[in-house]
Amino acid sequence: MLLVPCPNCGPRNSADLRYGGESHARPDPATASPLQWRGYLYLRDNPADWLRETWYCRSGCRRWFTLERNTATNEFRDPPLPGDKRGGKA
Amino acid sequence: MRRRPAKYSAAALAWRGLRGDSWPRVWRDTELKRSYDAVVVGGGVHGLATAYYLARNHGITDVAVVDKAYLGSGASGRNTAIVRANYLTPEGVAFYDRSLQLYNSMATDLNINVMFSERGHLTLAHSDAALRTMNWRAEVNKLQGVNSSVIDPDEIKKIAPALDTSDHPRHPILGALYHPPGGIVRHDAVVWGYARAADHMGVEMHQKTEVLDILCTGGDGPDGKGAGGRVTGVRTNRGDISTPVVVNCTAGWAGLISAMAGVRLPITTHPLQAAVTEPVKVFLNTVVVSGSLHVYISQTDRGELVFGAAVDPVATYSIRGSLEFTEELAGHVLELMPGISRMRLLRQWSGLCDMTPDYSPVMGFTPVDGFLVDVGWGTYGFKAAPVSGEQIAAAVATGKTPELIAPFALSRFDTGDLVGEKGAAAVGH
Amino acid sequence: MTMSRLGSQPTEVIDRSTTLRFRWNGKRFRGFEGDTIASALAAAGEHVFSRSMKYHRPRGMLTADFWDPNLLVQVGDDPNVRAGHRLLESGMDVHPQNVWPSLRHDIKAANGLVARFLTAGFYYKTFMRPQKLWPTYERVLATFAPGGKVDLDTPHRYHDKRYVHPDVVVAGAGPAGIEAALAAAAAGARVILVEHEHAVGGHLRYSSAESARTALSELRAALDASDVEVLTDSTVTGRYEDNWLGIVQRNHPIAVERLIKARAKVLVVAPGLIERPFVFAGNDRPGVITSGAVRRLINLWGVKPGERAVVFSANSEGDAAAADLDRVGVEVAAVIDGREGRRVSAAQGPPKALEAVVAGGTRTDADLLVVAAGWTAPTSLLNMAGDRPVYDPDAARFFPSDPPSNVLATGGLAGDGSLDELRAHGAATGRLAAQRASAVAHRLQARTARALEVTGDEPDWAADERTPLGRSPHPELYRSDTHGMIDLSEDVGSKDLVAAAREGYDSVELAKRYTTATMGSAQGKLETVNTVAAIAEARGETIAQVGTTVWRPPYAPLTLGALAGRVFEPVRVSSIHPWHEANGVHTILAGQWIRPDHYGDPAAEVRNVRTNVGLIDVTPLGKLDLRGPDIPNLLNLLYTNKWSKLPVGKVRYGMMCAEDGVVLDDGVTGRLGEDHYLMTTTSSGAASVWEWVENWLQTERPDWRVHVTPVTTAYTSINVAGPKSRELVSRVTTGVDLSPEAFAYMEVRTATVAGVAGCFMWRIGFTCELSFEIHVPAGHGLHVWEALMEAGADLGVGPFGLEGQRIMRLEKGHFIVGQDTDGLTLGPSTGLSPLIKLDKDDFAGMPELAWAADRQLPMIVAIQPDDPGVVPEEAAQIVRGDTNEILGRITSSRMSPTLGRSICLGQVEPELAAGGTKLTVLLTSGQRISATVIDHHAHFDPDGERLRG
Repeated sequence: MLLVPCPNCGPRNSADLRYGGESHARPDPATASPLQWRGYLYLRDNPADWLRETWYCRSGCRRWFTLERNTATNEFRDPPLPGDKRGGKA
Repeated sequence: MRRRPAKYSAAALAWRGLRGDSWPRVWRDTELKRSYDAVVVGGGVHGLATAYYLARNHGITDVAVVDKAYLGSGASGRNTAIVRANYLTPEGVAFYDRSLQLYNSMATDLNINVMFSERGHLTLAHSDAALRTMNWRAEVNKLQGVNSSVIDPDEIKKIAPALDTSDHPRHPILGALYHPPGGIVRHDAVVWGYARAADHMGVEMHQKTEVLDILCTGGDGPDGKGAGGRVTGVRTNRGDISTPVVVNCTAGWAGLISAMAGVRLPITTHPLQAAVTEPVKVFLNTVVVSGSLHVYISQTDRGELVFGAAVDPVATYSIRGSLEFTEELAGHVLELMPGISRMRLLRQWSGLCDMTPDYSPVMGFTPVDGFLVDVGWGTYGFKAAPVSGEQIAAAVATGKTPELIAPFALSRFDTGDLVGEKGAAAVGH
Repeated sequence: MTMSRLGSQPTEVIDRSTTLRFRWNGKRFRGFEGDTIASALAAAGEHVFSRSMKYHRPRGMLTADFWDPNLLVQVGDDPNVRAGHRLLESGMDVHPQNVWPSLRHDIKAANGLVARFLTAGFYYKTFMRPQKLWPTYERVLATFAPGGKVDLDTPHRYHDKRYVHPDVVVAGAGPAGIEAALAAAAAGARVILVEHEHAVGGHLRYSSAESARTALSELRAALDASDVEVLTDSTVTGRYEDNWLGIVQRNHPIAVERLIKARAKVLVVAPGLIERPFVFAGNDRPGVITSGAVRRLINLWGVKPGERAVVFSANSEGDAAAADLDRVGVEVAAVIDGREGRRVSAAQGPPKALEAVVAGGTRTDADLLVVAAGWTAPTSLLNMAGDRPVYDPDAARFFPSDPPSNVLATGGLAGDGSLDELRAHGAATGRLAAQRASAVAHRLQARTARALEVTGDEPDWAADERTPLGRSPHPELYRSDTHGMIDLSEDVGSKDLVAAAREGYDSVELAKRYTTATMGSAQGKLETVNTVAAIAEARGETIAQVGTTVWRPPYAPLTLGALAGRVFEPVRVSSIHPWHEANGVHTILAGQWIRPDHYGDPAAEVRNVRTNVGLIDVTPLGKLDLRGPDIPNLLNLLYTNKWSKLPVGKVRYGMMCAEDGVVLDDGVTGRLGEDHYLMTTTSSGAASVWEWVENWLQTERPDWRVHVTPVTTAYTSINVAGPKSRELVSRVTTGVDLSPEAFAYMEVRTATVAGVAGCFMWRIGFTCELSFEIHVPAGHGLHVWEALMEAGADLGVGPFGLEGQRIMRLEKGHFIVGQDTDGLTLGPSTGLSPLIKLDKDDFAGMPELAWAADRQLPMIVAIQPDDPGVVPEEAAQIVRGDTNEILGRITSSRMSPTLGRSICLGQVEPELAAGGTKLTVLLTSGQRISATVIDHHAHFDPDGERLRG
């Protein structure tokens, strides 16, 4: 059971949160080409390394936020980042 | 390069037993050459099947299968060895049905007993909605000639008396999709069988050989990688190999290997956990799956119950296993079979699964010439290994995408033409 | 091997004044309080306890503890009980396992005669032909499955779980573990000390030396005086991420087994060492026993293990066993000293007993062979923490390498030393653990700074300045000059492993898989190192070169009951549920909700709604209360249609699509006030749409001012439907003009209903009748329902359930997300393209929906079978003529009581979507029928005159 550092609630068991996956910027829907948009929908960096990802503290503060976690070791980088969505591979 | 195999049979066993003779090596231990006609990355069931069919069906024997650990060390040896063909989409059914046929004849084809136990496969429905999906699958299956039907709780009880088919308040068993041709196979035997048969035809297996980079030229990315380029070789921890064809048959590391060629995949990597109990006398003669309880159960001939579940929700490359998995699993198993609460969990483990957005694999050619993928196998790779190997080998040999795997092309994510297995395969084992 | 009870021993744990009667193998036996099942049987002279898995060889006692592979028995309905560990209880009914027809005469022992053919991997090499016969072979092989029997009527007895957040957990209460716990507690840490055995003390418990007994009583007294929580007969089963520990407590007074989940700040691993068997011919014969087992039998339970012993000793424990034997009157016929290079070669005798021991060419008569050949370090918890232990050939065992800094090893796992040195190392470990735990505690508190004030700076991460324990030299003793059994659980011998390695299965993992060595009930604790040694020998390499295998959790097997705990499966019901139950409801499960499906005759319920008025409880309908000035922007972003100009009091339908254009949810949203809206979602989408809304607001549009409150269960929702619904509602409603002019279709009001203020009243419905949907503050739901029933008695009011509603919605042609749509259904396929406003700036899924507008997509259409009496099953496939080509499917179907004919919704290929198209529907019976696509989705009242009324 991972201990997830929620910026509001402190460390919580991962079962208390929803994992939102790799965070990635949403292309401008007005100008995005099909390839760009489907890249946003489907393609992932999926690194075995540091990754920026979103979490939702569904049993606590009910905030979505972004964290950096190393997907090879499951360590979180301290402190948590504010709730932005830029990123992918950290 | 063709070698005379030591044939397996009861008579040969008896003869060697009487003489006290030992058996020859199942595959040779050879030097890594500097060049091959094709390099298959990943010594699991998919990679080995690909190599086997390259040699057997197309006479392409100058092939190296490289694996960073030992053969079958990844998902091939960690899955719960269930095979079935009762998928939801016509393309899925046709594909897995071919796989099941190949499993059926595998023991004689490969001259090794893979212990295919065609014991039937039950997918339980706990809600009207689930029952509707079961009916849908049964209808699609029937149209494709696959034996699969929806049965009621009385029939379920006859097939699997351990199941609680009473009027349970929370997860009543309302019916099940019954698929008699489904069953279990000894997964390791499939690995060894393909390796041994491929070896006999000249294919080389190289264990502890890790791919560090894929060498490309002419692509639009750095170092000649990426779209428009072509493969020239592979860099390994044992030196460079030149080759015009690299097939990525890895699971768990598919994204990392593809990135070495500059190909981005629609994949996230999640652990899939499994567990086994201590053995008890056999009481369960079929495979039982519950989608809404996220559990599948079978009992081996050795008497152990083998359990699996859905993939872990958090993407990671760490495969240490979790306590909550065993807790949830036990709770769900006891919902279905309350009588086994005194059985003890003996061992848990996990493997990596490459999940795609439409719960279907990514197979065939990529924007890099000579770089093929057979990846994104989620939780259903084992059951597809024979047909995948056969079809990917055909793609390599002919340069064309075989019809059976055309729906699974990487390009479908550019055009948005996804495969509709998601509904059925959310926990489809 | 003739065992019997000795006179009283100074260290014994049995209470000779309390006799316990039990049955073994159908016969009556007696033991004492404090005996294990096995010690009681041994004291009564039993020496064969089981038959081996493959060859069905008689097996005696080997280690006399939890890990003894030969001591698995059935106790009542409890299979695979560890008789070497489980305490004897009065009335136990104990049976041997895996024997047929009996322990004494086992027919399958004939397998032993063909052992030379049952070589490693023999299954793989035969039974291929004829293929048809494999199921028969398989059934025969399955009868060889080892283990006990499950009684499928076993109840799931009481199990609970406990959560703890200790500073330090110490796994293992030998002298080092106890000292670690005491030192950590003395430094102020909250400590849990977990001991696998029934009492603390480790090897001190079965040492007859005066010094050991003194030390043990000192340590026990110190523990009693401390704040350390001691759990005996409990095992740390796993160390998971961030020091999340599973602990199984087997001796809980109420729970059969209890799972304790601990988030330990620091874990101290002190399990001691496990004695390793030695491999030689006949090493699995009854009478061959480890030195530790001998000492336990004599000193804990007062059991004389034999009459004439040979001791093969390579260490002081073996010497101590020889001394114990001598002391209690067992003749020690020979001591074979492994430190002098001597080896035992064979244990000989008839099948069920030991007669003689062969060593160095000398045959010595004996009924007991005691083996002290070295140790296995149970590094499992360290492995689970990511450590890769390393082999030291001089000490002939593995040692920890580099565990994470919140996991500390002490005791025999960490090294050797005198009792004082081990105790000192334990104490130093405890102090270090307490220091590090306080640093962890400070950091956790700092991370939760909103709740707690953090005082002071974070303490430094204490450096490891413990004086390391030494390593005693020990000969590398794995196999003698003969071959023997390596894995007694699985009947895998050293010959099998050598053969496997020669065949190419020459890494530990491949050999394990090929031979099944280490896969059995002992989980590799006894056999792993010997397995590695056999492979190393076959490869001509060292043990260090071959490396070890990964130990996987759990450390000790635990019951599914303990893992499951109490099975909590909550269900949800509305406040009206008692009324439904009192009125003959037939319920249906929808997610967690138990809902009224019908009350006996759904068709009659439909007819009543169509002619009079009916009530349905639609409480699970998802409801989100939205407040703030940016709500129109939010709605424009989430729904495909436009929301900028919705007046107060008006309601609009909307469809939500995901970013890939696939239909996600639908429902109506009403504007209750200037900055106040109520959004409704599908029942199944209530939770996910809320998270979806929050995700957009928090991550994509954090500048927008919208506050979202889920109010699904805060309101009981009742839909009043039928031509007489206005009349009925008007009788109980105040504060709202219900006339069609004042309160039109698709409007919402706040009303007082049956005296309950603050109800939201909507003119919407799923039934295509005039209807009013009332959201009543949940506490008053039942009251309002009953008031409506009472007030409408003369109007013919009656309840209707989900089935009636589904029939009526199908008559109206409303699709249900998730039933008529699937995971690939794009917005335009629903036929609601006019609601997809591509001229908006942005909304979820917009690009995909824009591209989809130009594509030919499968469509949802209304279908009527040409034979009105045939209802195709939901899932029936639509095919091309007589072929098996699939062109669509029926997604919803019912017999319409209103129209007296079968009606359907289905998904079809685009070329079949036009009204009037003839379809072939394949029924599940295999019959093909013809059907026709109708012009619009509504089978009934296509112009909506009834619901606007």
